[in-house]
Amino acid sequence: MANITKKVSWSSRGDESGAAGEETPLLNGSEQSRPLRQQDSARGRPKEIPHNEKLLSLKFESLDYDNIENQLFLEEERRMSFVAFRCLEISRWVICGLIGFLTGLIACFIDIAVEQLAGLKYRLIKENIVKFTEAGGLSISLLLWVALNSFCVMWGSIIVAFIEPIAAGSGIPQIKCFLNGVKVPRVVRLKTLVVKVVGVIFSVVGGLAVGKEGPMIHSGAVLAAGVSQGRSTSLKKDFKIFEYFRRDTEKRDFVSAGAAAGVSAAFGAPVGGVLFSLEEGASFWNQMLTWRIFFASMISTFTLNFFLSIYHNKPGELSNPGLINFGRFESEAMEYNLYEIPLFIAMGAIGGGLGAFFNFLNYWLTIFRIRYVHRPCLQVMEAMLVAAVTATVAFIMIYFSTDCQPLGPDHTEEYPLQLFCADGEYNSMATAFFNTPERSVRSLFHNPTGTYNSLTLGLFTLTYFFLACWTYGLAVSAGVFIPSLLIGAAWGRLCGILLASTTSTASMWADPGKYALIGAAAQLGGIVRMTLSLTVIMVEATGNVTYGLPIMLVLMTAKIVGDYFQEGLYDLHIKLGSVPFLHWEAPATSHWLTAREVMSSPVTCLNRIEKVGTIVDTLSNTSTNHNGFPVVVQVSGDDEPAKLCGLILRSQLIVLLKHKVFVELARSRLTQRKLQLKDFRDAYPRFPPIQSIHVSQDERECMMDLTEFMNPTPYTVPQDTSLPRVFKLFRALGLRHLVVVDDDNRVVGLVTRKDLARYHVGKHGLEELHLAQT
Amino acid sequence: MSLHRYELGFLLIILNIYSLGLIDAVNVTASDSAANPLQAPSYQSHSSSAVYKPAVDSSYSINLLSSFPEDVEISEYCSEMLRLFGQRYVAYVNCLIPAARPVRVCQNCSPGYKSLSDVFLNISSDQMGPGNVSCRDSILRSDRLMLVFLLYGNLDTIWEKSNCKQCVTTDLKGPNNDTLYYLTLLNQTITCFEKYKEGNHTELCKSCTLPYKDLNDMYSGMEKNSTLCIDLEDSMNMTRKLWSKNFGCSYPHGETIPVIAVSSFMLFLPIIFYLSSFLHSEQKKRKLIHPKRAKSHNSLMNIQDKQS
Repeated sequence: MANITKKVSWSSRGDESGAAGEETPLLNGSEQSRPLRQQDSARGRPKEIPHNEKLLSLKFESLDYDNIENQLFLEEERRMSFVAFRCLEISRWVICGLIGFLTGLIACFIDIAVEQLAGLKYRLIKENIVKFTEAGGLSISLLLWVALNSFCVMWGSIIVAFIEPIAAGSGIPQIKCFLNGVKVPRVVRLKTLVVKVVGVIFSVVGGLAVGKEGPMIHSGAVLAAGVSQGRSTSLKKDFKIFEYFRRDTEKRDFVSAGAAAGVSAAFGAPVGGVLFSLEEGASFWNQMLTWRIFFASMISTFTLNFFLSIYHNKPGELSNPGLINFGRFESEAMEYNLYEIPLFIAMGAIGGGLGAFFNFLNYWLTIFRIRYVHRPCLQVMEAMLVAAVTATVAFIMIYFSTDCQPLGPDHTEEYPLQLFCADGEYNSMATAFFNTPERSVRSLFHNPTGTYNSLTLGLFTLTYFFLACWTYGLAVSAGVFIPSLLIGAAWGRLCGILLASTTSTASMWADPGKYALIGAAAQLGGIVRMTLSLTVIMVEATGNVTYGLPIMLVLMTAKIVGDYFQEGLYDLHIKLGSVPFLHWEAPATSHWLTAREVMSSPVTCLNRIEKVGTIVDTLSNTSTNHNGFPVVVQVSGDDEPAKLCGLILRSQLIVLLKHKVFVELARSRLTQRKLQLKDFRDAYPRFPPIQSIHVSQDERECMMDLTEFMNPTPYTVPQDTSLPRVFKLFRALGLRHLVVVDDDNRVVGLVTRKDLARYHVGKHGLEELHLAQT
Repeated sequence: MSLHRYELGFLLIILNIYSLGLIDAVNVTASDSAANPLQAPSYQSHSSSAVYKPAVDSSYSINLLSSFPEDVEISEYCSEMLRLFGQRYVAYVNCLIPAARPVRVCQNCSPGYKSLSDVFLNISSDQMGPGNVSCRDSILRSDRLMLVFLLYGNLDTIWEKSNCKQCVTTDLKGPNNDTLYYLTLLNQTITCFEKYKEGNHTELCKSCTLPYKDLNDMYSGMEKNSTLCIDLEDSMNMTRKLWSKNFGCSYPHGETIPVIAVSSFMLFLPIIFYLSSFLHSEQKKRKLIHPKRAKSHNSLMNIQDKQS
């Protein structure tokens, strides 16, 4: 307790100076801030602090997972026949099939586009380098490389920074948030998809240290959200199908299927995709949904395989899955032995440490970017600079490398660069740098012993580590999977080579490819901290089940070691994005907090029969952007406080206002069509803002009867419910509003996602996050 | 008895081919085993070892076994084919081994392969020979070992691996036009190397650049069309090694300074960028919002009590 009181005094000092504000110890949160707020409002401006990780943004809202069982819903259910329900079930399967198919197609498109464009670029540069190696003047080749890279990245960055900023990064954090129940604005729009896909092509072709796998997952999710709705709001095209699915609950299920399909297309790992959705996303699972998701991811892998087989002129050959193909680990030298397990675990620990370091650097870089590099044109410039520096560093590495290797008979190297090597040999550093990252990973896994010397690998690891760390978080659409794998594969291979050189019986440790794989797993695990799904993805991508045990051990170790220092990269970015993310469990040691402290109060309530003017005013109030309103009813006399009888959402009210469902009008026009659930679905998901709805002065005097439309049985808790209990209700049921009532069923407060997400366990125990306008 | 001897001899040939591959195939009979004293004893030592003794003791039984009825035994025609196969096989192997280093297998031995594969084709075809017999079943498929098939398979793998088909005419008689042209270029280069070998290597690098470059280009062109065989690959490898390693004519690591200048400029740019955006860009601030909370001093007091 003494600890907390000490912090109270510290915090108040910090607030005075304006330097801190980083953390407000929990207990004085409400008390201390109150006088401050008065002070601020007296001066006429709210308190401002630099962006940091301990904020919750107001722009994020919850998704409405909870089914609104109002009278309209019951009526519709009564009208629907049994056959109609069966049809719904079938159309769910059809949609999942479509999701898989389209995701596979997109993956195929990205793959082919990247291969063609990158091939063009590398051929151009190679010709130039060959020309100038002979004639002298390689600095011109360097400039050409830099210019081409910057040019590609410029376009990739412009479309992201100016058109759709949400498409930046890998998209996995955003999808994670969406599946967690946060409505991230614009994350599943068609525009985002287009920007994402085009952007990732540009950034990979632009030679950045990025991969195209993360964006695949986002693309799959967007496709799923689009396909399941049977229309596109952006294109203003409504196919009049799948109307039943125009709800957040249904959409979420399909989005998890889309994310799974994306993973499965990216890595050729259908089971891994399903487990990814399970691990990262959906908290609401049942066996049928899992089975459907699995169907979608299978379809997606095999669609990709099929079209790629046509592209590679081997139509019908379905055994080459995934955007990133690790190749087969089946030769005898790839077998491992019991005595190697401790080594693998040690490598896992290294991976965890390096991953934490990566995240630590990226964390500070991201904070700097949010604070200072926030203008779109600056972001574009930054991306171009990174591209230029990447090319320069790669060029220097290749230029000064003296590691020459003879050309193999079957030329696994796509663009071998000779440079100053003897004829018939190629520069080994160039295979690592002068190539798309996917190919580099594969050559690190599979090239025979002696393809790289240890100095090359060491330098490559070092430079690529910093380049990848610098690149993640730029305003380009790009993933972090492949760079992590590449870093890990490089130092893993280095470990293999060193092991082989330390022992005299070199044949025992013959194959460095095996260590490259383990290193890649360790590094990736250390950075993203995924567990189950990553294990399965890696095992599936290598196509060798016997690697299950070492990969699992490595990922476990990497996670344990990494978590000791720093969070996973995705969690870090979610935090920095000020997203009200609900973890699996309420923070530990929070049982003493009750709903009374957690809830927001007082609550804006509406009467069951409410004046239109009041409703319009409530909705128009910009300072309180509430979304759910408890509906109350006066039991008896005026002095008696009103009792809770239902809950109504802003979106519903807007639809009601738009259709002018007023009591007076209904009386005068008896023939008026009754509002149906369909009218609410048609407006979904972009309900018009209140400002766009015109309500005349006369109409303001009318009354609205909310009985039919409100949710008559909202979830409620008594005031003394503990925080973990509230949390569990929220997380398990996917609630958006939880009404806190007293003994007489009178509304005393309302718990929303932000009220719960603000508690987290920090360095000094339980801490509270600030709400902020972003 | 003669038949038995024949069989034994053939077996020996096989053994010898496997171990040495250097046998004159015509002298099939006893002289053969005499000519290779190393082999025959080894065979006998095997047979005289304790384990195999009973089996070899009954060498008469082999004799007995060989006298199968007429219709099961292989026909005269087929045994003739078999003999021919053996001859040509040995001839081809004899040709291959001296051509191993430097590799000349395609230029020297392609006709040998041609004649061998002709015989094998004859044996393996299902067309009836004279006397209405097909040797395919009797020679190739009668036993588990399928010796002839195995033997041929080995040499065929060598042929496929060497990729000789690309360098010789379609009738496998001799090198094709591309190869001939390549060989002339190679000769020119080697002659040039010989000419300037003694003196300063810089002069060699200067003078021989032209023929070497022609050769290199020709090779690269053939590589692209994948019309290379092991002979050409090997000779090019050796020439390149001479050129780059022995004579040191690779490109020099020249003019490093412009590269360093350009790259240090590039590396300097981000520093300027970040510094300037740190100094000039307005720091993004977040407006804090104070949520509505219940006034619950009492409860807070309670909690404090509870906690302490």
